[in-house]
Amino acid sequence: MSQVETGSNGTPKVGVYVCHCGINISQKVEISETVEFAKKLPYVTVVREYKFMCSDPGQELIQQDIREGLVDRVVVASCSPLMHEHTFRGAMAAGGGNPFLFQMANIREHVSWVTVDKKAATKKAKALIAAAVERIALHQPLERVQVPVHPDVLVVGGGIAGIHAALTLADSGKKVYLVEREPTIGGHMAKLDKTFPTLDCSACILTPKMSAVGAHPNITLWTYSEVTKVDGYVGNFKVTVKRKPRYVDEEKCVGCLECIEACIFKEGKFRSEFDEGLSKRKPVYIPFPQATPLVAVIDPETCIEFKTGKCKKSCAEVCAPEAIDFEQTEKIKEIEVGAIVLATGFKTFDAARVSRYGYGKYPNVYTSLEVERLVNAAGPTGGEVLLDNGKKPKTVGIVHCVGSRDENTNPYCSRVCCMYSLKLAHLLQERTGAEIYDFYIDMRTPGKGYEEFYERVSQEKVHFIRGRVGEITDWAMEPEEVGKLVMRAEDTLMGAVRRVPVDMVVLAVGLEPQDDAEEVRRIFNIGCSHDGWFLERHPKLAPVSTFTDGVFLAGACQGPKDIPDSVAQAGAAASEAMAIIDRGYVELEPNTAFIIEDLCSGCKTCVAICPFSATSFDEEKKVVVVNGALCKGCGTCVAACPSGALQQNLFTDEQIFHEIKGVVSYV
Amino acid sequence: MEQWEGWPKIKFESDLDLKFPEQIASIPGGDKIFTCIQCGTCSGICPLSPCMDYTPRQLIAMIRAGSKADVLSSRTTWLCASCYRCTVECPKGIKLTDIMYACKRMAITEGVYPKHFPIPVLTNEFFNTVKVTGRSNESWLIVRLFLKTNPLQLFKHANLGLRLWLRGRMSPIPDSVKRKGELRNIFKVFDVEKEYVKTKRKRKFKPAPKGCDCGSGYL
Repeated sequence: MSQVETGSNGTPKVGVYVCHCGINISQKVEISETVEFAKKLPYVTVVREYKFMCSDPGQELIQQDIREGLVDRVVVASCSPLMHEHTFRGAMAAGGGNPFLFQMANIREHVSWVTVDKKAATKKAKALIAAAVERIALHQPLERVQVPVHPDVLVVGGGIAGIHAALTLADSGKKVYLVEREPTIGGHMAKLDKTFPTLDCSACILTPKMSAVGAHPNITLWTYSEVTKVDGYVGNFKVTVKRKPRYVDEEKCVGCLECIEACIFKEGKFRSEFDEGLSKRKPVYIPFPQATPLVAVIDPETCIEFKTGKCKKSCAEVCAPEAIDFEQTEKIKEIEVGAIVLATGFKTFDAARVSRYGYGKYPNVYTSLEVERLVNAAGPTGGEVLLDNGKKPKTVGIVHCVGSRDENTNPYCSRVCCMYSLKLAHLLQERTGAEIYDFYIDMRTPGKGYEEFYERVSQEKVHFIRGRVGEITDWAMEPEEVGKLVMRAEDTLMGAVRRVPVDMVVLAVGLEPQDDAEEVRRIFNIGCSHDGWFLERHPKLAPVSTFTDGVFLAGACQGPKDIPDSVAQAGAAASEAMAIIDRGYVELEPNTAFIIEDLCSGCKTCVAICPFSATSFDEEKKVVVVNGALCKGCGTCVAACPSGALQQNLFTDEQIFHEIKGVVSYV
Repeated sequence: MEQWEGWPKIKFESDLDLKFPEQIASIPGGDKIFTCIQCGTCSGICPLSPCMDYTPRQLIAMIRAGSKADVLSSRTTWLCASCYRCTVECPKGIKLTDIMYACKRMAITEGVYPKHFPIPVLTNEFFNTVKVTGRSNESWLIVRLFLKTNPLQLFKHANLGLRLWLRGRMSPIPDSVKRKGELRNIFKVFDVEKEYVKTKRKRKFKPAPKGCDCGSGYL
């Protein structure tokens, strides 16, 4: 092993600071014994103990010793580096030292909290302090690198979360790219009728925001587009966006609907995605009247021209601005952005997976999203709720927790179903005058005004039955059940099994991650929880950040959320993105890998395995080059290098061997 | 005047056996009973729950509370037809049918099962036939079942039995394995006698609901 390299003023001067952490550490570790032990360790000039090292007076101890020239390297024996490494590095810098001549010995989480015996705890604390002292003598002063930040922001997903994030960023003067997969923005909220608990019209509050997005000078709106590739790092992302051909020129189309009128299909024939399949559309269509942008789209899967090439193209003939262009091809756009807000949303649970509820088997069993379209005045029936026989339902049953709180499907609570079921109960009763039976497990109404809404619906004499529906069947036992759907459930509060005959069933389906969430996760290099929702950096203290710096989450892509929460989170994500951009630079941690060129044999093992593409091969020199700006310091290449040519700052072989020596030699 | 029988609606801690939930939970997967959310899916989907004195959901609640006496003397476990619909649909993955069997085993061991109720009798008689002959014999099984539960049923089903016999579907002569001695040795080794305590304590069972044809009318 190499000799200990000394600091600029000769031999290293190490200060050891032992923290009591109130009684968290001192009740298990003999502090005085540890202090005496630390005094005998090599290069140690100062040893101090203090009740709370992280407090201002505690930090002042370190700064004072550095200013007086007593120490130039510092070991703090306290808690986990995750907790306070940042604090003490700051204290080092404030005292005039280099923040990387600092090491923490974790004698709380690793010792006092997990050790029963006092003697054993003290012994382990000593070993950890010795290890830190041994290693710190080899630390080099390092500098954080500053990299400028690109001022533009990418927002992925044009639901309410994406719209709000984009508007917030654009209003602050940032240039925003809003990328949406569907032909229009609006997302799920555009499909809803009313919003709980205030019952204001969903479209009325959403569409002004949608048109604001369309008209905003700072927003570049790319609908019918998908992000296919993301390179780079925080502040300097290079994003590739695929713009699918919609066969209508967005610049020229005025949304006059002439082409739709002229289409050779006289009636709609194909499943309308926007109406959840309850209405039919033509091959050329605009999803809904307030679509943004108000531009038609031609579906090549159903258009006769694309299938046979023999259509008379009446749509193109009537189009005055000549916007229809059958030759349009896919376009690839490459953009540079400084931060990314992901707001890709959710999909609803496929009710057919719970076969005992008969969805897809009985015609009058609907999912909640379908009923939203049915009760919507702009929906396929103009707001009339009608059964398959054309009559109004006299009794309606609502089933909660379909695809939620169930280990066979999704174990989590989808959070919004109780509230939207109450809303649908109210709306269905209002529109049809039907008796409503609401089967719930637990009524979850936490939120401002939510419990009051529950009380209001209860007063409207909706029948609440606490019990999950066992099955829905058309098999009649009694005369009044003939021709109806029978919901069989236990009324758990009454302790009896009930059979409730109804005309119409609403399945309150839960929320699920999008089908391609895993692919999106991979493109943006972020994490997923086991349920498939995107993973936040910290569930409480960093709920919109991800483990990839500069990528933020908004809305239901992070977990089931209602509209107020999605909007709040979108605002938070926008402001965190702004924080990066307004600062103008990002600081990169210096714990990066570096290459010792003389040792590199050019085997390229590290090039293949680097998860951040930070290593590349220099064909002229025949050695590997590490891009410090891309390196995240994961250490994979260092471990894989067969010749030991790759080393990592703060984790060189010497430092680690000395740390091991410290653990084993003194105690 | 009726005699004062204490507070029937209050369960005092002394009425409960707090070891009982642990005993039930000790079967494979049994600890899932503690995750039950009392949603009632099991009762809602059970074809026999209307005949039960406690629904399967209530049974889980009673097990968790330690209401051992009520659980073991309940008709619910004996009515379970082992169709496994509750087990399939339980949102918390509780193996209810297995829990039912655990309760039944415990009831038999403690001798508290309903004496003339066909299901435990059938279980016992089936086991005895197999133990003696090494084979199951339907005609003997049915005759003994009816004799021990409701002998009138014997006349009711005699015609059916005769027809089955004539068509060779059922034989009045018991079939058996060849070396019965070895079979006896096997049972001796496993000491199965212990499982079946002969003593039967007398217990009150609730009467079946009116018009119920689930078999609990024999109680």
